[in-house]
Amino acid sequence: MSKCQPRLKIVNRLHVLRAERRLTQEQLAKEIGVTRATIVAIEGGGYNPSLELAFRLARYFKTEIKAIFSIEEEER
Amino acid sequence: MKKLDSILLKAFLYGLPIVIMLGIFSYFYGLGIFNQATGKVKFLYNFVGLIFALWMLLSIYLCVRLMVSGSLRNKVLAKLTFIRERDEREVMLTGKATKTTFLTSLAILIFLFCLSCFQVSIYRLPPAKAVDGKTGIVSLGFGFNLLESSKQANANKTLKERDIFTYTGLPVSSTAVILLLIIWQIISYNCSMQRLVKNEHKVT
Repeated sequence: MSKCQPRLKIVNRLHVLRAERRLTQEQLAKEIGVTRATIVAIEGGGYNPSLELAFRLARYFKTEIKAIFSIEEEER
Repeated sequence: MKKLDSILLKAFLYGLPIVIMLGIFSYFYGLGIFNQATGKVKFLYNFVGLIFALWMLLSIYLCVRLMVSGSLRNKVLAKLTFIRERDEREVMLTGKATKTTFLTSLAILIFLFCLSCFQVSIYRLPPAKAVDGKTGIVSLGFGFNLLESSKQANANKTLKERDIFTYTGLPVSSTAVILLLIIWQIISYNCSMQRLVKNEHKVT
């Protein structure tokens, strides 16, 4: 990767969507088929999910991936 | 085959405490007690010997199966090393931890190889054999022996001189090195995994 490229940070609204539906992390994890630790890691920004998992989340919340995940440019 | 492996694995695991108990018993009481024994005790001794022989045979079979069968390896060794791959995140973390373990193990193996190859010997020659009037000799070498016996022959050869210091490879047995490497692999993997999970939480 080129050095002058800005670093892209993936942010998500998963905790917001989850709170809107009054779901616990455990419940969402069960519905999506992952562990609670994975939901914790995604919400905290520690783990970026695969495209497949992102689509599964979008399908579960009946929305688009863009409504859950977005990109912010970070200064190096 | 899978069912047979499962049954044999259970037999191996159930036999393990018995073998350990036998080992402890023979360590404390020795074989003398059985040599003098007669009747039922002698029969029991022979029976236990047969069981032990079967258990050893079983363990060799399972070791070979572990090398050949991928499913058995995943089932047994994954449990033994506490590998958990319940979702994609855990698969990714396992991959990273395994890479760390592989590279550190490789580094250790290279280090051990160097230690086992280097040979240093400091000795004093008899005055009649002095070289340029000097009797103190420092000998450095790099030896690679395919067989264990040839290594020992070289070690004995150097001992004929008046030795001050001799280093002819690792002082630890190959069995101990293998056991240490097995333990290292398990510990290293789990430590790497813990560190990766901690790093994940640091971001939050």
